[in-house]
Amino acid sequence: MNRTTMMDKVVNIMGSYILKILKYSDVTPHNFYLNRRKFVEALGLASLAFVPTPTIAKQSYSTNAKPNTLEEITNYNNFYEFGTSKTDPAKYAKSLTTDPWEITFEGVSQNKKKFDLAEILKGKAIQERIYRLRCVEGWSMVIPWIGFPLRDLINELELNNNAKFVAFETVYRPTEMRGQKSATLDWPYREGLTIEEALHPLTFIATGLYGKELPNQNGAPFRLVVPWKYGFKSIKSITKISFMKEQPYTTWGSENPREYGFYSNVNPNVDHPRWSQATERVIGEGLFGERRKTELFNGYIEEVGDLYKGMDLKKYY
Amino acid sequence: MTSSILFKSLPVSLLYCILLIPIPLYFYWGIVNQLGPDPLRFLEHKYGELGLIFLLITLSISPLFKYAKINLVRYRRCIGLVAFYYVVSHICVYFFLDIGLSIDILLSDLQKRYYIIAGFFAFITLIPLALTSNNFALRKLNIKTWNKIHSFVYIAIILSIFHFILMSKTWTGELYFYTGITILILILKIKSTKLYKKLSTYSNADISK
Repeated sequence: MNRTTMMDKVVNIMGSYILKILKYSDVTPHNFYLNRRKFVEALGLASLAFVPTPTIAKQSYSTNAKPNTLEEITNYNNFYEFGTSKTDPAKYAKSLTTDPWEITFEGVSQNKKKFDLAEILKGKAIQERIYRLRCVEGWSMVIPWIGFPLRDLINELELNNNAKFVAFETVYRPTEMRGQKSATLDWPYREGLTIEEALHPLTFIATGLYGKELPNQNGAPFRLVVPWKYGFKSIKSITKISFMKEQPYTTWGSENPREYGFYSNVNPNVDHPRWSQATERVIGEGLFGERRKTELFNGYIEEVGDLYKGMDLKKYY
Repeated sequence: MTSSILFKSLPVSLLYCILLIPIPLYFYWGIVNQLGPDPLRFLEHKYGELGLIFLLITLSISPLFKYAKINLVRYRRCIGLVAFYYVVSHICVYFFLDIGLSIDILLSDLQKRYYIIAGFFAFITLIPLALTSNNFALRKLNIKTWNKIHSFVYIAIILSIFHFILMSKTWTGELYFYTGITILILILKIKSTKLYKKLSTYSNADISK
């Protein structure tokens, strides 16, 4: 593990408590890119335009499972940029300014590399995807995201020929993200996918949930959702997307390479070194809820199995 | 000095009641779904954390008396036993609710997962202490034997802290806090041992030569 000495960390934490006195301005993001009515319109149009073709096996990639409540989805978050407790993001994420929001692209040949979020969202058909999010910690919840497939965005870009991987980076703004003041992780948070994974129709960019704009604690205003991988791959509040030849740096992967592999596909047969991944706690089932059997690729074996054909999933965990 | 008068007048039986109330209270909140989206993990962690806190308080009583002249020695047995009851509750939540009474999972956890192994042995170490925390045992046992049994508590706290560190994904503020307190208590304990005193007098004698 890349850790400095304990004393350094203690001093760091004490420093961050002192800095806590700083007051955050309460910025409410504008609902500039999506409102409920537009969303309903988008859905209506999508259903009119839908023509079943033999290549589309499933009408929808969404799960039939009942979504968790908004209360659960917005009060149980791993977003270490706002603190390590699952209730910290709900408490402190308000301080993040999500409007204006710029996203920079690297590894593209076009001249314009920086886009305002509104420019990116313009003309995108917004759709709903109900995905089960399986956390590497052994729990899952069902979230009705809205947004668009990442491939819709990638197809608009002029990629360099040698792009084999996509790297994502979360915003680094310690004044607004109090967790970034301590060296809990190597900030900014970074994640990555292979280009094939990024272009898969399941791979989704969420800009909202439950038909409304994305709450800050869920990764506003623009986050990745990769439903067949453990939750930490689905990076939040993205400001940079790079296309590259080499496998990119990933935050958890460098923190603990033995425990958090680059692929991190949901797999009940490959245990985390410190706990089993065979089953998961279902959030919302209460104190006496039964554990759920974890499914290979979180239930998407038909859709993504081909991506990993012949691959030793124990080796490439 | 009203606080010390209050402490002196507080009957031990009342202290037991106060310190144990959170066990049924948190359980009740869990049943009525007041512990957030993941009540099981909350309850499991809360009992474990409170067990650790009371264990650390028990261990602070002798350094507090020695260095700060605060005498809480008469409450030590009570707080120590309370710590044990929290540890038992913590393990009950793990066994009955978390792994759902599955002996298979328990056995595989005990073989594979270091944090479960550390926690399990911390619990085993605490059992003889809990069993001898009564006047009957004190009368029956030689005081030297009794002291030896109760020095196991230092093994238990080291195992408990390892249990906590090994289960964590990263070093959080609370993890630093509890580890720091544990190290401090251990340093003070080592300094008070006969061996340490002997060694330090030897080395001092060497310097003076």
